[in-house]
Amino acid sequence: MEKTLQRDSARKIGSVIAWCLIAALYAFLILLDNVLPANGFTLMLIPVLKKGAIYSLICVSMNLLNGFTGLFSLGQAGFLLVGAYTYAVFSVPAEQHDAVYQYFDGGAIRFSIPETLGKLLGENAGNFLGAVVCIILAGLVAAAFAALIGIPVLRLKSDYLAIATLGFAEIIRAIFQWNSLGPITNGSNMLRKYTNFSDICIGSLKLSTAFPFFISMVCIGLIVLLINSSYGRAFKAVRDDEVAAEAMGISLFKHKMLSFVISSFFAGVGGALLAMYQTTVQANAFKSAMTYEILLIVVIGGIGSVSGSCIASFLYIACNEWWLRFLDSGSVSLFGNTIAVPFFRDGFRKVVFSVLIMVIVLFFSRGIMGDKELSFAGLVRKFQKKKSPDGAKGGAGK
Amino acid sequence: MKKLFALVLAVAMVLALAAPAFADDTITIGVFEPLTGDNGPGGKQETLGMQYANQETPTVEVNGVTYNVELVVADNESSNDKAVSAATELVAKGASIVLGSYGSSVSIAGADTFGEAGVPVIGVTCTNPQVTEGNDHYFRICFTDPGQGAIHAQFAKNTLGASKVYCLGQLGNDYDQGLLNYFQATADELGLKVLKEDFPEGTSDFTAYLTNAKNFGAEVIFAPCSIPYGQLIIQQAASQGMDVVITGPDTWDSNMIMDSVVATGMDVYCTTFYGEGGAPEFEEGFKAYLNGDETALANNGGNDMIAAVSVMGYDAYYVALEAIKAAGSADPAAILKALPDVTYEGATGGIAFGENGDAVRSTAFIKHANAETGAWEAELTDLG
Repeated sequence: MEKTLQRDSARKIGSVIAWCLIAALYAFLILLDNVLPANGFTLMLIPVLKKGAIYSLICVSMNLLNGFTGLFSLGQAGFLLVGAYTYAVFSVPAEQHDAVYQYFDGGAIRFSIPETLGKLLGENAGNFLGAVVCIILAGLVAAAFAALIGIPVLRLKSDYLAIATLGFAEIIRAIFQWNSLGPITNGSNMLRKYTNFSDICIGSLKLSTAFPFFISMVCIGLIVLLINSSYGRAFKAVRDDEVAAEAMGISLFKHKMLSFVISSFFAGVGGALLAMYQTTVQANAFKSAMTYEILLIVVIGGIGSVSGSCIASFLYIACNEWWLRFLDSGSVSLFGNTIAVPFFRDGFRKVVFSVLIMVIVLFFSRGIMGDKELSFAGLVRKFQKKKSPDGAKGGAGK
Repeated sequence: MKKLFALVLAVAMVLALAAPAFADDTITIGVFEPLTGDNGPGGKQETLGMQYANQETPTVEVNGVTYNVELVVADNESSNDKAVSAATELVAKGASIVLGSYGSSVSIAGADTFGEAGVPVIGVTCTNPQVTEGNDHYFRICFTDPGQGAIHAQFAKNTLGASKVYCLGQLGNDYDQGLLNYFQATADELGLKVLKEDFPEGTSDFTAYLTNAKNFGAEVIFAPCSIPYGQLIIQQAASQGMDVVITGPDTWDSNMIMDSVVATGMDVYCTTFYGEGGAPEFEEGFKAYLNGDETALANNGGNDMIAAVSVMGYDAYYVALEAIKAAGSADPAAILKALPDVTYEGATGGIAFGENGDAVRSTAFIKHANAETGAWEAELTDLG
């Protein structure tokens, strides 16, 4: 009885801490966009935070499939591509069409959802709502593609599924680059000049960093709710033992399909956010290497851990795009003194980064979090346990 | 182990936070180039030109005060999704003006970041019209694809006397597809018959494509693709015993293409920015610089053959200095304002900016690869 009470109180304190931290995070992000001075530190922090938030969503969506349902799919880059293109195609402003679709006489789709909404509701509201509508549309189109290819592909298991989905991603890329579809996809050329993060604001309040965090957090929240629902438990049952799950009355195909389509929906959303971040989209970038990058982050974070994927995303992006860049520059500046290091030259960052990843994969084969979750309730319980050694058992905290 | 890992990360973070403390008498020029990835070799050669120019003229005099010029290089990894953070890094390091990039798509991908920060950029060899179109802060010192595509069509028709041309480009590469588009437009005007095909990325066997070219009766093959594909096409055309002339774009001006030509004896031409012997003083100095620096020599592909992109990089650096002088300060906004009126007589010819911030260039070079001597022979052509 006393233990249950203690658990309840830990949960309450944990959720209060979590909400406070989220509020503090958003306050910081809005300050970062609007008030804080632009110096070397904040300028680099902003893109890393944005991309980290976007990759968190993409990795969690892959984790839903690979970690929670046990479907080893390598088609993520294909769904990102579909999402990114859907978003970009529907948000290029009408006046930019001639410039963007320069080889295709201005393209076939000559309107932009944010612009159309902007005429009705005012520019800022139009950009915000238009972006959200386009993002949801991106998810839906990616989900539709997943539903189509899921029917034949999900009858395959393990390696065969991986090969089939990998092939799918490559085919999608080739189709989007096909010149005959040029009036819509712009063929091999990039889409640009569409609504991006810097267009998102309320009045004069810029939300360019807070927006991707907001969308990612909502989506990851939905995925967590799904995982904790009866569907989520069915997914895990399918992952652990297909025969046993089927004997318990779980329809294998239905649940695999559900997981595949939902995962692709969120990958499509992630693709749309990535398009907003990059400000240009070109099918060429969505190679299988991108899928491996995402898979790597999922493995580093821990297969089957949502919070692990998020932590790993931010760490990976920060190391890759920021912290390790000094290795390329040929020198280190330490407290104002510039020291030339002979090893440090172009491309050395890639070497160090690869070694770091190998160390992680070799020594933390279960990733940062394993299949556990970071929970504030767990941390609180750990703290309570330290205070009274005979207290409640430690929670799921790290 | 975990503690060690945490320690490593912490140290990395501290190093990143230790902001570079530049003195007031330094002006920073950003170099936005691919040093790794598909375009790594070309990006390195372009950077070498800038580094040599920086070594030659490490200071600039603004309003009677001499400032040191420092080059800060950010690797964009030839990848559009890394372009944003590479561009941000240059902005964060206080670049007054940025040079680059080799490869048009990364330039377009990075353009918005520079635009938001108000930092002017000089494109060195990015030839796609979209780089400067709609980007008021983006200038460029090279010719553009519409001109280059037209030159190739005219060259095939008028100089080589061809009536049928086979065009081969990589699917999904905007550079290849853009040039093919402009080639086709001029070829239609001239009454050239054109058969166009695309190959997917990673293709290593071009036999089927070359057979199609043979069946079509092509006298010229125009293949505006990157160097590795160019090498394969030349080698495989030779092994099929094809009697054709192969023409390539500005990327082909490379010692690697020359190696293939020497090995096979094929008849190969390419467009380029600079003709050998155009600036003897520069060539002598640059070769001495390469041979005196082991790293630079390795970055140039192991020999001291001069790539046109290096000369362009050299000129771009001096154009940037001219802009700083004209602006009278290191403030990006002032430089941006002064840039349209900057003119400079460089190793690659006169440089001035016209419409959209594109260079006003009336000439380009067409080079013939001499299989016997292993040297490029340049000819000057008028741009259409």
